[in-house]
Amino acid sequence: MNAHGMTDKTTTPRVLVFACRWCALVGADAAGRGRADLPASFRVIPVECAAMVEPDSVLRALASGADGVAVMGCHLGGCRFNDANHVALKRMEALGDLLDTVGIGRRRLLLSFGAAHEGRQFTEVLGAFFRELAPLPSLAAWRKTLLNQPSFR
Amino acid sequence: MPGVIAILCRCCGQIEPAVDLQALRERIGREAGVVSVEFRDSLCLPEDGAAIVKAVESSGADRILLAACSPYGKAGDVVSALCARGIDRSRVRLVDIREGCAWIHRGDQTGATAKACDLLCMGLGFLRYGGCSTDAVVAVRPECLVAGAGSAGLAAAVSIARAGFQVHLVERAAEGGGMLKLISRVYPTDVEAAEKLRPYLEEVERNPRIAFHPKTRVVSATGFAGDFKVRLASVTGDVNVRVGAVILATGAGVWLPRGLYRYGELKEVLTLMELERRQREGKTAAKRSVFIQCVGARCPERPYCATMCCPSSIKNAVLLRKADPDAEVTILYRDIMTPGHILERYYRSALEAGVRFIRFDPAQPPVVSGDGHVERVEVFDAISGVKREIETDQVVLSTPLVANADNAKLSELFHVPLDGYGFFREDYSLHPLETRQGGIFICGSARWPVSSAEAATQGEGAAMKALAILGRKEISALSLSRLPEGKLGHARIEDGACSGCGNCVAVCPYDACTLQRVGGAFVSRANKMRCRACGSCTAVCPNGTVQMPEHNARAVGAMIRRAFAEGDAG
Repeated sequence: MNAHGMTDKTTTPRVLVFACRWCALVGADAAGRGRADLPASFRVIPVECAAMVEPDSVLRALASGADGVAVMGCHLGGCRFNDANHVALKRMEALGDLLDTVGIGRRRLLLSFGAAHEGRQFTEVLGAFFRELAPLPSLAAWRKTLLNQPSFR
Repeated sequence: MPGVIAILCRCCGQIEPAVDLQALRERIGREAGVVSVEFRDSLCLPEDGAAIVKAVESSGADRILLAACSPYGKAGDVVSALCARGIDRSRVRLVDIREGCAWIHRGDQTGATAKACDLLCMGLGFLRYGGCSTDAVVAVRPECLVAGAGSAGLAAAVSIARAGFQVHLVERAAEGGGMLKLISRVYPTDVEAAEKLRPYLEEVERNPRIAFHPKTRVVSATGFAGDFKVRLASVTGDVNVRVGAVILATGAGVWLPRGLYRYGELKEVLTLMELERRQREGKTAAKRSVFIQCVGARCPERPYCATMCCPSSIKNAVLLRKADPDAEVTILYRDIMTPGHILERYYRSALEAGVRFIRFDPAQPPVVSGDGHVERVEVFDAISGVKREIETDQVVLSTPLVANADNAKLSELFHVPLDGYGFFREDYSLHPLETRQGGIFICGSARWPVSSAEAATQGEGAAMKALAILGRKEISALSLSRLPEGKLGHARIEDGACSGCGNCVAVCPYDACTLQRVGGAFVSRANKMRCRACGSCTAVCPNGTVQMPEHNARAVGAMIRRAFAEGDAG
């Protein structure tokens, strides 16, 4: 058992974070400087704005081993790019519908706008997402079992 | 042989032992394309900066992967220093293995090392496909358009002309002056408005650098910071001007309180503006006056305080008392808004001058009564809790300024947004007087209701911002960002692949993407001068035709593919 209450490291969910460099990336940086304790199974891709994240990228991440994807941008109303993040939120909500439809579930997509721009907040938001994902089956393992079924061969 | 040199910073022992750097070095050395992996004790020391350049040259690598601290730490400066030495920014990738890895996974060396390895592989993937935007340079037209010749516009035009640049001052009325032509005196100095205007109007007349266009409207506008093409229409014909910057100083409009407090029914019920006119013409014979504040302001339809009505009422109340020491003047208010020491003193001077102030509750507004003419005002005094009846000869309603009706048209022409009340919206709070479009500035009551003195201050401020553009011979698209690190790049649309769906046009927050007809089909074009590199267009393009070279889909795809590769292997 590790520090995060998870019994086996291989079952720690893997999370890909798209972090806006004006807020969430600053939060991630502050979490580092504050020596937060986070599971080692997340990776951050810095983006200029949350609006830059293609829905396709989220799907690709889920297809290449991520159990969850977090899109983190600025406060709604605090976007550096003339409210581009409002549109991004709508886009990602629509993607959530799609994830629900195909059975992956929108729970695997975390949308956080303005809630992760401080180190402590970043740690809390990401920690909560890890806890949310922990009971869900690993997507990668699920995909492997699916692909190994005779009908898929 | 071209390849990647990976430089791992030990950060003076901050990375180890959380990350096993030796294992990381061996693992990265096996990656295709990596020609050399080196350790440095501390990249941020000056001698290491020179050493990196030397190491890159001797290894023959053409791309650099830096594993160090976060870009907000010293590593960001290291990258900037490398770029300053002539290394292309798209050829350097910084990977944060300190704040983003070693410091937050201290209890898990295996996991942290696997993560560091994945992060480096993601960096390699990015280096393979990441590109660089080509800059665009535009020659700046050394002229400025100022729309509106009120306090703000006049101050802006005069400042720019004095700095030596040509100004086109456009006014829809026959002469300049704006709101100052409607009022008698300006607070808090009580100088006559005409006196205040005179030097400005004389300068407009005299200065050969100011071309005044009266009775003129802007009918079309294209272009971008440095080179706007604007068409002006007047009865004498249309004029085309090309200007480097635009200042919108269109002022505000007056709101009429139709149906409130028997306005329009009893002729002794006036608005503040009508009282100003009477004061100017010297026709204020009323012995007893009651002012009612916040009429149509701070209500659900207009929840804002127009800021100029309290000082204006105070000014007129004192002037009435001074003109006739027997005059009875009462101001019925909700809250007196006189911020700053000057206006606060102004308010106190009104108390000393014998102006009576009675506070009312908006839930129980005053009632104007009279048969055929105003006789009295009944008000519930919210402080003493007593109902009062005030005999009066006239009632003055303080109504707020509302947005100029022309703003909607100008907003469309210049692609600048309005706020919820029709005033021009500033780009977010860190950039006063600027709009979301580079080279277009706002000032005075076009932005928000202000006094004439403040409008003039803002006009000069907007002029200074415009001069920062006009003063340059040329401006480059990448320099237009007001963000501290400069602009990331700009969107690029591949010719031939665009299907003309218009998604990017719909989503662009800066109207940089436009559909243009090319050979019978529509294709999208991205304007480098307007693009601010938010990347919205790249997220909605159905076939990946729009790309930010610095953050293109192939580079991001490569990063995503490698994000959990090491975790899988381990």
